[in-house]
Amino acid sequence: MVRRSGRIVPALVLACLSVYGCSGASAPPEPADQAKAAVPGRAAAPADQPVNADAKAVAGFLDRVNQYVAIHQKLENSLPKLSKESTPEQIDTHQRALATMIQDARKGAKPGDLFTPESQVVFKQLLAKVFGGPDGAALKASVMDENPGVPSLKVNDRYPDTVPVSTIPPQVLEGLPKLPEEIEFRFVGNDLILMDTHAHMVADIVKDAFQQ
Amino acid sequence: MSRQSDILKRSAAAALLFALVLVGDGATRHPQAAAPQAAAPAQPGAGLPLTMPNKEDSLKFAVLGDFGTGSKQQYQLADQMKRVHDQFPFELVTLVGDNLYGSERPQDFKKKFEIPYQALLDAGVKFYASLGNHDDPQEQRNYKLFNMDGKQYYTFKPSAKQSVRFFVLESSYLKPEQIAWFEKELQASDSDWKIPYFHHPPYSSGERHGSDTQMRDVLEPLFLKYNVSVVLTGHDHFYERTKPQKGIVYFVVGSGGQLRKGNIDKRTGLTAAGNDQDQSFMIAEINGDQMWFNAISRAGQVFDSGVFTRRK
Repeated sequence: MVRRSGRIVPALVLACLSVYGCSGASAPPEPADQAKAAVPGRAAAPADQPVNADAKAVAGFLDRVNQYVAIHQKLENSLPKLSKESTPEQIDTHQRALATMIQDARKGAKPGDLFTPESQVVFKQLLAKVFGGPDGAALKASVMDENPGVPSLKVNDRYPDTVPVSTIPPQVLEGLPKLPEEIEFRFVGNDLILMDTHAHMVADIVKDAFQQ
Repeated sequence: MSRQSDILKRSAAAALLFALVLVGDGATRHPQAAAPQAAAPAQPGAGLPLTMPNKEDSLKFAVLGDFGTGSKQQYQLADQMKRVHDQFPFELVTLVGDNLYGSERPQDFKKKFEIPYQALLDAGVKFYASLGNHDDPQEQRNYKLFNMDGKQYYTFKPSAKQSVRFFVLESSYLKPEQIAWFEKELQASDSDWKIPYFHHPPYSSGERHGSDTQMRDVLEPLFLKYNVSVVLTGHDHFYERTKPQKGIVYFVVGSGGQLRKGNIDKRTGLTAAGNDQDQSFMIAEINGDQMWFNAISRAGQVFDSGVFTRRK
């Protein structure tokens, strides 16, 4: 048993993503390696091994994220590249042009397109365990620091300029799936969002991500 | 000794006394503590009552945080920084985050950064930014004058004059890759002084934010393992120098534009010196194993000063 939440988080995630499952019987010898198998870009799980529902849900989420990033990269590559000499005007123009192109490419995008319903269940369970742990109150306080929420925030919206981003404590981040460089997890009030950092916009939202 | 320099010395001493009386020093002595000492040589000549050695081959830098408001107070503090620079020619400014508040359109970079610090930029001073929770990473990491080279976290060695390396972290999103990178860079560095800076303070007496204990749990072991002596942060909108914590002194310099008056909670027992009554910034000078510092208010008062010896 591990004492601090900082240690519990990865243990929980790895356990949940392991091929033996959250409720699994005996502990697998190398759960971390099994969990990694669910992440695209890393070695895939051997075909003859069973994959539990949680790992499958997260893999599905990551597939969607990768599809999103492929669109993002294609569109960004069509824009003039930023350089070390770029002016604020060029940087701002680049960011807003990218956002407009992504919005056009994803017309009709809605919550759950990336956070699939199955993965939302997993994320909510994960967060409930993290924030319900011994250091949960402190972790939650850190996340909610200067984070009043933006109730009207929608998928494809530009992240509001006047709203600071929430801090995601390292103990929480180390338990979440690794994302491509273009995308970050952030909390906006009680909602978990995927933020496109290059376009400064919301790629997806899980409403009320903190389960009681 | 001239009457003028005598007055300057007395002013500096009075300012230091004021700061120490205000919050108390009472530093806990650690076996390897870089405990600050109040005494510092006086800076001769006219101008502000700085107490820095101002040696030719030393590394001189300033620390500024939570500043990009575009307010009158930010501009006044920027003017004070230029006056200090005239006496004490720091070569760079470490920015501890929240570099621009609100919108970050091109005109905001002018109003909230380029115009107030134009005189320093013209003098060749380089600004090295870290990102705070109010900062747009994409806009700022690509902004030439912030010298981030397109990165959200990075490291740099300012000059060959002194054995110093800075490590600039993105503390609102401290992902495992960044922590691994940080340790690798610390391990690889042969600099005598390894100085991390970032936005969220592991130790702070702020009533509004206070110590970020989650970050402390992750970063402090690395600071201790790799002999970090001083850590620079912001986020809480005041100036605070902590008593050495396990031998490390933490500065909160979130007082560059925004100010939260009366926000230092004196009951924490962390504070060696502080100022939550006026905007302020800090200057530092490293020569060999020693680092001198002065904290200077918008009004031109040197309200905290001292010298550390690095941990070995």
